[in-house]
Amino acid sequence: MANLSNAEIFGRLSDAVVDMDEEITVRLAVQSIKLGIEAYETIDKGLVNGMMRAGDLFEKEEYFIPELLLCSDAMYAGLSELRPYLKKEAGAVKSRVVIGVIEGDTHDIGKNLVKIMLETSGFEVIDLGRDISPRSFTDEAARAGAQIIALSTLMTTTMDGMAEVIRILEHDKTRDLRRVIVGGSAVSSAFAKRIGADGYAPNASDAVRLVKGLTGGTPG
Amino acid sequence: MIADWMKPAERLKAYTEGRPIDRLPCVPIVGNTAARVIGVKVSELRNNGRLLAKAQVAAYHRFGYDGIRIFTDLYAQAEAMGAQVRCPLDETAYLESPAISNIAQIDALRPVDPLKAGVLPEHLDAIARTLEAVGKEAPVTGALTAPFTNASFLIGTENLVRLTLKKPQAVHRLCEVSLETSLRYAEAMLRIGCAPSLTDPMSSSTLISPRQFREFSLPYLKRLIDSIHSHGKPITLHICGKTHPVWELMADTGADCLSIDNEASLSEAKAKVGNRVRLMGNVPPAAVMLQGSCDEVRSAVRECVSQAHNSPRGYIVASGCSLPTETPFANIDAMMNAVREIGYPVNLSGPVDGNAP
Repeated sequence: MANLSNAEIFGRLSDAVVDMDEEITVRLAVQSIKLGIEAYETIDKGLVNGMMRAGDLFEKEEYFIPELLLCSDAMYAGLSELRPYLKKEAGAVKSRVVIGVIEGDTHDIGKNLVKIMLETSGFEVIDLGRDISPRSFTDEAARAGAQIIALSTLMTTTMDGMAEVIRILEHDKTRDLRRVIVGGSAVSSAFAKRIGADGYAPNASDAVRLVKGLTGGTPG
Repeated sequence: MIADWMKPAERLKAYTEGRPIDRLPCVPIVGNTAARVIGVKVSELRNNGRLLAKAQVAAYHRFGYDGIRIFTDLYAQAEAMGAQVRCPLDETAYLESPAISNIAQIDALRPVDPLKAGVLPEHLDAIARTLEAVGKEAPVTGALTAPFTNASFLIGTENLVRLTLKKPQAVHRLCEVSLETSLRYAEAMLRIGCAPSLTDPMSSSTLISPRQFREFSLPYLKRLIDSIHSHGKPITLHICGKTHPVWELMADTGADCLSIDNEASLSEAKAKVGNRVRLMGNVPPAAVMLQGSCDEVRSAVRECVSQAHNSPRGYIVASGCSLPTETPFANIDAMMNAVREIGYPVNLSGPVDGNAP
């Protein structure tokens, strides 16, 4: 692989992510470092490009959740090779998103996909996990200075917790600092409107579009 | 409101045989809402056959629907095989942790004896008591979690779906032991005269591809359904979420009736598999039954009926999935009343919105 151009490396990396091949992804990431290619460029044009293509295949129903998870495994494996070589850009603060599954619900595949796609798009995502109390969401968002709180639930029994997050923000007078978005099969855009949330996304790709819209289009 | 003049079992039999009936069969899929009918906590039902039967029978009498399903949550079989289940006092139980964490442990899993393991004996007791109380007049089924979905609770869903691509043979070993527990539990239900009803949410196309359904869901569903059919009982298969890519495969399982979620279209299902299987569905359980007004329930029922009432193998009005526990009684009544108003042969000429008689 010694004679590959940068563009070829990126193309192959992207393909390796789409092909769910962790081993080749890691090998190409290491190769790119040896060739002295900027780590940020390798991540953006290789790994992220591959994950975006995987997301498109998911939307077209050619890929399903198992494929998407294995693509993200490959992407993260490549990322952990490249991360130490990323130059710290002074003053570049990424938009932060606090994400989690609301208290009482323990289904987190949907939330994990949203997290993967947001990270792929360059957002910094703080994942609180599942079964999270409304107060923890607001506390963690305050601690991280997050612009976005993303709430997920699959279960109708736990939807009240979403409204509670907004009530806490209003009570704490921090409602205008955070945008609250909801997702998961129990909720809808009508529900989001009713509880006063800032948006609803039916799937991971739409969640990325929604967050980009709410943060002014750019993650950085 | 027009009163029913047939009992559910009688109505269903007449409908299937093409004889006159008073109205279409209607099944709002009542699960833990039954606890609300007798004023007990949700967690009290789970391991108490007497109380579970009492709640389900009371709910049936309260609403007059056409099918009783003994169900508290999806985890009874997985728990009996070693998964940890958390039971909040007054909410539906949920999976705390799967039975195993890696494929090396699969061979240590054993199929269970449903007369002894976990809450299965109490659920069987509830089935027997419900049959005793109303089995002559109404269909009673026992909820059975399908092999692939139960496998996901044994090893964890994300783990399982990764393994479908990485270690397919391990998934098959897991599905085999999962199937064996399902077969034994089904057998125990059938021995007391009850047909199981199958739920397989993890086989949804929202989660796995049709190719994976064909490999990991279909063969085990087919073996389970063949075994149930050998006892002469019909079987309903419910899969949540998107299912349009797998309707034909769902029919290939041998199921007699497919229960369709509100994320799928009844009219499309009718066009594709209506000549092979009966359909039921798909009034939205959350957006309409839980949160909607009585008028919205009525409109949703009329929409479903207009789409599917002429499906060749028949149609049962139903919610798209189990009803949320806190579904208002008024909305369940509104669902039943909408079906009574439509009557049979189906007449949708009533006012389009509101002012239900």
